[in-house]
Amino acid sequence: MILQAKQKQTIIDAFLIFSITAIIGTVLILACGANPLEAYGLLFRGIFGSSSSFAEIFVKACPLILTGLGCAVAFRTGFFNIGAEGQFYIGAIASTVISLNVTGLPGWIRIFLSLAAGFVCGGLWALIAAVLKAKFNISEIIVTIMLNYIAINFLGYSVRSFLMDPSGNVPQSAKIEPGSQLMILIRSTRFHAGIIIAVICVLLVWFLMEKTSIGYELKAVGLNRHAAACNGISVIKNIILSAFLSGGLAALAGGIEVLAIQKKLLEGISSNCGYTAVLIALVAANSPIGVLAAAVLYAAMQVGANSMQRQMGIPSSIVNIIIGVVVVLILGKEIFGFLGTKRKLTVMEEEK
Amino acid sequence: MAILEMKNICKSFAGVYANENINLTVEKGEIHALLGENGAGKTTLVNILFGIYTADSGQIFWKGKEVSFASPKDAIASGIGMVQQHFSLVRKMTVLDNIILSLKKNHFILDRASAEKRLVDLAEKYGLVVDPKARVCDLSVGEQQRVEILKALYRDVEVLILDEPTGVLTPQETAQFFDVLRSLKKEGYAIIIITHRMSEIMAISNRVTILRDGRQVAELTTALTNPGELSRYMIGRDLCVNYDISSPVAGENIILMEHISLLQKHRGHPLHDISLQVQKGEILGIAGVEGNGQKEFAEVITGIQKHSEGMISLEGIDIGKKSVKERYESGIAYISDDRHNDSLIVGMNITDNLMLRDYCHKPYSHLKIMSRKEMADNANRKMEKYQIRASGSTGANTPVALMSGGNQQKLIIARELSDNAKLIVACQPTRGLDIGATEFVREMLVEQRNAGKCVILISADLEELMELSDRIAVFFGGRIVGIMKRSEATVQQIGVLMGGITGEEGIL
Repeated sequence: MILQAKQKQTIIDAFLIFSITAIIGTVLILACGANPLEAYGLLFRGIFGSSSSFAEIFVKACPLILTGLGCAVAFRTGFFNIGAEGQFYIGAIASTVISLNVTGLPGWIRIFLSLAAGFVCGGLWALIAAVLKAKFNISEIIVTIMLNYIAINFLGYSVRSFLMDPSGNVPQSAKIEPGSQLMILIRSTRFHAGIIIAVICVLLVWFLMEKTSIGYELKAVGLNRHAAACNGISVIKNIILSAFLSGGLAALAGGIEVLAIQKKLLEGISSNCGYTAVLIALVAANSPIGVLAAAVLYAAMQVGANSMQRQMGIPSSIVNIIIGVVVVLILGKEIFGFLGTKRKLTVMEEEK
Repeated sequence: MAILEMKNICKSFAGVYANENINLTVEKGEIHALLGENGAGKTTLVNILFGIYTADSGQIFWKGKEVSFASPKDAIASGIGMVQQHFSLVRKMTVLDNIILSLKKNHFILDRASAEKRLVDLAEKYGLVVDPKARVCDLSVGEQQRVEILKALYRDVEVLILDEPTGVLTPQETAQFFDVLRSLKKEGYAIIIITHRMSEIMAISNRVTILRDGRQVAELTTALTNPGELSRYMIGRDLCVNYDISSPVAGENIILMEHISLLQKHRGHPLHDISLQVQKGEILGIAGVEGNGQKEFAEVITGIQKHSEGMISLEGIDIGKKSVKERYESGIAYISDDRHNDSLIVGMNITDNLMLRDYCHKPYSHLKIMSRKEMADNANRKMEKYQIRASGSTGANTPVALMSGGNQQKLIIARELSDNAKLIVACQPTRGLDIGATEFVREMLVEQRNAGKCVILISADLEELMELSDRIAVFFGGRIVGIMKRSEATVQQIGVLMGGITGEEGIL
């Protein structure tokens, strides 16, 4: 009965969130003198209009999936990794270094080595915060945010020094040769093999979390660290593992961005996806499948908004505003007029 | 005229009645006991009175006028005070600051001097001695309770509600506390006291209202009733207390501790030079006021905390260096007093909670991959064997957060009492449970004893210890101040030792 009440509440919440955002969006579109129906139509046509724009959704979603997945793994274990951005950069740097320097091997081995190196370096980067947290109880939130600045600026330093393209004088690395690039899977689009890697990662993480004893430990530590320790589950070990996986996944996104999209290392390569990742994970309630859905939806909105802006001159910022509103509403569901039911539920729990 | 009257109070949570047509009348200068099992609706009723919940229907009359309190603030303003089971004190502030916290008549600049004078006067008048300048976190539980009562008195309440006030006190402290209540009564205060201990009701109350399953089953005058009648009303049947612990213990040592000490930063020695052994088929009861090292003692045995000196062995094998998991695997089971923080992961369901110890063992896990089917079978088996009740529609998938305390405890017992267990450390295993669940837990412990396992039972309930233990050790200040056979122990003697008095003067 209680569960039913909760389900009902979820449906009502979703409906309310949808209505509120639709109203805000309509008002904003009206305010710039456009027809909302036409604008929404263009938004959808922008998403489903052509194969290349549809593929673009997944291109944009790919780094969000991986970084979001990284955040979700960490959050599940109670490790609040806000450092996906920095881990993304470290992954991008490490992958570039390997791709530019390892030669004489078959292409797919070079790609594998490059991405694996990125994964490991990003994981180790996240471990700094995990060790500080586990050993000295220093807030991982602060540490990961600070490590972001270090990583971002280290990339800026590296593309101006040891990774700078010797044949030019712009702050970027040399181009990665085609044999080491992630191949395009659908011709005349940018749909690349990295997207498949991201989806595989979603499935692997889902399997790890739901089907294995490793995932069971991670979840137990995340839900109640103290009880986990009292029952003989090592908290330190699991925080370290989750931080490593989390950082590795975010770094993988960086590596894929270099090998599939930019084909070289340059500043601003993440488009802030490491921060968006936090939001994706929160909206997805840290579920791997949810991350996949949320990331694709987010990317679709972005792609649609761009076409809306191109064709009608409606600022694409509207979509970002709407996304912001949705997130705030999802995270602040309690503000809807259902305080009564919520309170009753919690009270029930106490009473019994 | 009654100072307070509650009429036909109804309150339901998610369709289940917690209170159904309850009437409560309290007179000036009386102590009115509210008796009932856990979940009978006592706390809900006083929470409605205190403005924490709003009743679905029914009326409250305060001095003859109908009132409705939207929040505790309103209730306090009218003259109703409440001391909750979990104190609501700011631990890092002084006693005085806690008392004057959020007083309406506080000025921008606090007048602590006159507040202190008034507080000291109040405290002396009723024998509630406490240092106004002490920080709350440095006080004992009994002293904190005094601060809570003073806080209410300082606000000029006329009705004082006390929710399970004696659970944390020694017998001697309880007696003192009752003296305070009697002097308050003499001054004309009306007191509502919630309890499930018959002896206390008989000792202190004028009238008693008994609730069962949210309904009022009786209102009696204490002088005209007896504990037997009370318990019949409370649980709807006669209480059977007859645990078979007659068989002799085997004499074979299971656990041996020698000079165990625990050193903690900032806290000194929570445990000091503990030496004892427990034998096969023996229940060793551990008595003591809470916070005298019992919990640390349990955690040192189970490996959650590592002792700093001494030796501990299980069946002759030194386990001092072993981890929690290794100790569990070698046969140490643990029922903690803090179900929600230590034993359960309330965000997980029954199946997963039953796996907390064995998730990495066969048949539940093979090459790190867990078998949902084996886990579900295990859950169904244990739920049946230990009569764990969950919501009908979701069964073993019910989140533990939605289970009653009794069922949560059964779940923990079902998980911990495996065939492999040799030593069961049970810390306050019946706290907060209703009588049915309490009996079940006690029977389980006795069954383990009679099956040749050894049980360490830590309890604040002396009656429980006297019923179940073969021997009783008393903790005070992190030391064992006395250890005796049950047949040679008296409640009074244990009570004196719990207060820290040893030697000749203690053994009266």
